[in-house]
Amino acid sequence: MKSTTSLFLLPIALLAQDSGQSFRGMVRLNRAPVSNEVLKVRLPRPVEKQLGNGIRLLVLEDHRAPIISLTIQIPSSPLRDPAGMPGVAEATAALMMSGTAARNQRQIAEALADIGATVGFSAGAGGGGGRGGGGGGAAGAGTGAITVSALTEHFDEALALMTDVLLHPAFPAEEFQRWKDRQRSAIEQARTSPTGLGTELLMKVLYPNDARQFTRLTAESLNKITRESLVEHYKKYYTPAGSLAGIVGDISARDAAATLDKALAEWKGAPVEKISLPITAPIAERKVWLISRPGSVQTDLVLANRAIDRTNPDYIACLVMNQVLGSGPAARLFRIIREEKGYTYGVSSSFSATRYLQHFSSSMLVRTEVTEPALTDLLKEFKEIRDVPVPREELDGAKRTLAANFALGLENPSAVLARWLQQREFGLPEDYWDTYSEKVAAITAADVARVAKKYVPYDNVQIIAVGDGDKIREVLKKFGPVQEVSVE
Amino acid sequence: MKLAAILTVLASLALAQRAPSALPKVKFTDVKLDNGLRVLISEDHYAPVYAICVAYKVGSKDERPGRTGFAHLFEHMMFKGSENVGVGEMDFLIYTNGGSSNGTTNTDRTSYFETLPKNQLDLGLYLEADRMRGLVINQENLENQRQAVKEERRQSNDNQAYGQTSEKLEEMIYDAFPYHHSVIGSMADLDAATVDDVKQFFRIYYAPNNAVLALVGDLDTQATIAKVKKYFGNIPAQTPPKAVDYTEPPKTGERRASITDPLARLARIDIAYRFGPGSEDDARALSVAASILAGGGGGFGGRGGGGGAGNISRLYQLLVQDKEIASNVSARADRRQGPGFFHITVTLRPGKTPEEAEALVSEEIARLHSAPVTQKELDRAHISLMRAAESRLTALSRAQALADAAAVYNDPERVNNEIQKSLAVSAADIQKAARDQLINANKVVLITQPGAQGGRGRRGGGN
Repeated sequence: MKSTTSLFLLPIALLAQDSGQSFRGMVRLNRAPVSNEVLKVRLPRPVEKQLGNGIRLLVLEDHRAPIISLTIQIPSSPLRDPAGMPGVAEATAALMMSGTAARNQRQIAEALADIGATVGFSAGAGGGGGRGGGGGGAAGAGTGAITVSALTEHFDEALALMTDVLLHPAFPAEEFQRWKDRQRSAIEQARTSPTGLGTELLMKVLYPNDARQFTRLTAESLNKITRESLVEHYKKYYTPAGSLAGIVGDISARDAAATLDKALAEWKGAPVEKISLPITAPIAERKVWLISRPGSVQTDLVLANRAIDRTNPDYIACLVMNQVLGSGPAARLFRIIREEKGYTYGVSSSFSATRYLQHFSSSMLVRTEVTEPALTDLLKEFKEIRDVPVPREELDGAKRTLAANFALGLENPSAVLARWLQQREFGLPEDYWDTYSEKVAAITAADVARVAKKYVPYDNVQIIAVGDGDKIREVLKKFGPVQEVSVE
Repeated sequence: MKLAAILTVLASLALAQRAPSALPKVKFTDVKLDNGLRVLISEDHYAPVYAICVAYKVGSKDERPGRTGFAHLFEHMMFKGSENVGVGEMDFLIYTNGGSSNGTTNTDRTSYFETLPKNQLDLGLYLEADRMRGLVINQENLENQRQAVKEERRQSNDNQAYGQTSEKLEEMIYDAFPYHHSVIGSMADLDAATVDDVKQFFRIYYAPNNAVLALVGDLDTQATIAKVKKYFGNIPAQTPPKAVDYTEPPKTGERRASITDPLARLARIDIAYRFGPGSEDDARALSVAASILAGGGGGFGGRGGGGGAGNISRLYQLLVQDKEIASNVSARADRRQGPGFFHITVTLRPGKTPEEAEALVSEEIARLHSAPVTQKELDRAHISLMRAAESRLTALSRAQALADAAAVYNDPERVNNEIQKSLAVSAADIQKAARDQLINANKVVLITQPGAQGGRGRRGGGN
């Protein structure tokens, strides 16, 4: 059996000492005491078990609270929705808990409420990755998930309930109809969110040819989806073979494997073929996309283009580059666009790099009147990081941020487990997280310049704007040809 | 049926194996420095990190007319540099050493917090002490943060569907100034704030004797106290601010209003009941009642298609499930240092009216008056309280809870006692609280209707 921890040193040892120089958007007085002590940190490793039905289970014990949480990845995904019918995977997940051969919806809900447990079925992110999310965790991997969470004393009961649902879902026609009725209001409600509208359009622009363009169910597909679509999706994609599962909390690895083997013994099925979607080159021409929202007092702006997927060898260089540019309050976009210029309450940039998502995006909500200067200055920052080498101090700060933040993650076993699930999901080397700090430390200013030039869009940037059309239409034309998009 | 029977047997076997759950208690040391700073330290050696939280006993309740939003605007000023820390340097030092940081303001307190690796204890203490001792206050910083805060207001209120609803609701619930206005404040008042206001506010409210410092994590208590004394000990105390007067003129009848929201697409009704003075026990009982009325998740409006457990709460079953008039319901007891309130929100489905919803909600309130909740309902509410342990696993969550309990209620033990007291709430307690608090004299009804334009995107050319 593998050792359950691996020792690594906080990266201060690997990186040059901070000489305390100031740079853009910051004044450094260098009087606060900073420890240069090298912390020895033990990164917990989960124990891996193979279950009888083909599931690989990772277990991370944590006995601080009487809680156990289980996640099982399943092949179900919005990316597997039939053409023209976005929402089948979403509907299947939503209806799983609506009744089994033995219990109706209310009985399931009451049984869970009696023990204070939660059981959930989700379709996975699909195109929902949108903005944010620098490729962490398995959520963007395009797979669905089953989750069970309960107090230790009730975990077995919760698991038994979940298994009943998983093996014998009834998809009652009446509940399906009710769900459809409710979705009509939910779709309407979602139209009120400017950021929701912006994200939907972003995905359509970046992934126009496949299921990634949909972030959720649409009104048209709601009319087309039948109960049979759900049953078919369930039969094909709610299978265990080849799946990954993680359990964290108040349970030993041995007990976890035995409990799951027993509970899930009847759940069988062959592995399902992986989803295959193209990783394509960035869009070549600059363009502005506008959704008019009369009465809007702010413009929601997203600047984006296609970039890299999670397995791209430039991944870590991109993380370091983005740490300088737009991740967190020490980054340039926050310091300059928010703090110095005061255009916005929040601005950031990130790579959505998973198996299927492959884009860079930066977003901010600005008051309508400053739409033009805010866009100009954001693009100026894009140009700066593309054309001007990052000062040594700033680069080292970014690298320390990425590597040292690792120690804080140790507090949260679910986050640690998510990292290991990610390592398995993307087939990263066994020592990937053990050598993570070294990989970050090895990135040079030249690497940063190269990936910035390659992946931060400028001449070909796609600008998505949601705001009051009458007030910003003319302004936007200064940034490129404007295509207006309606919202039904 | 056969399968279900087998499952039950398995479940009861398992039940016998696992021990009943008990909530871990938060143990802490409570000391006061000579300058009045209250220091709470709780050791937890699970991970090599610690959290620091400084809570100042000041919130929007302390603002004066013409300066609403000031406590929160001030929070932003705390990130613009202090005597020995330059603009932007604090975030740089924290983040590049593996930490994270933020601040938050509500009606009753303002707090600042960081999480850092354990070897950076001096750094966290130094940064917090430096801005408690000597903040850099100038016109440039104020203008700059005024813009950021106004943008925050646009983002969270003015540009959101139902963004004006909560502001209007609080205006209707409260007559006395402390809670009559929102935390974010009005644009006009944000514009009116001056550098002198900032300086005065800093002197009065940001003194050690008006603050609580909580430290949780991989620390040694005695060594930490010594360091706290070193960094904070020589910050002078100030004359304590005068106590806030929450006294509300007695309310004599229901209040109603209706507003139009051009960004909303569905009608919504908000029903609130202001608690009377000295109603701490009632407020607690009603927070358990809120879970029975609408706990367990509220609705299905979210995206992503999660299929969670159905919601069996009274209002959800009635309004969403059976009558199918609502898309979403929620209920909660808003508890504060002064009088709080009970708040029910119902978002309607297209074509359904707020009046239909209100009639049904009123029947449910009457039912709370006339009959005790069932033991089953109470048991379910209790077990969901037990799940609260999950939200306490990080050092930061405990540091914030300790600091808040001490700053707002002068009772850090509240982090342990409140859950125990909530678990002890009985059906009779809930019935009594409903009869005393959920009455028409305390009631406020606010209806939000979608505006004439309905917030629909204009049908433009193309695509």
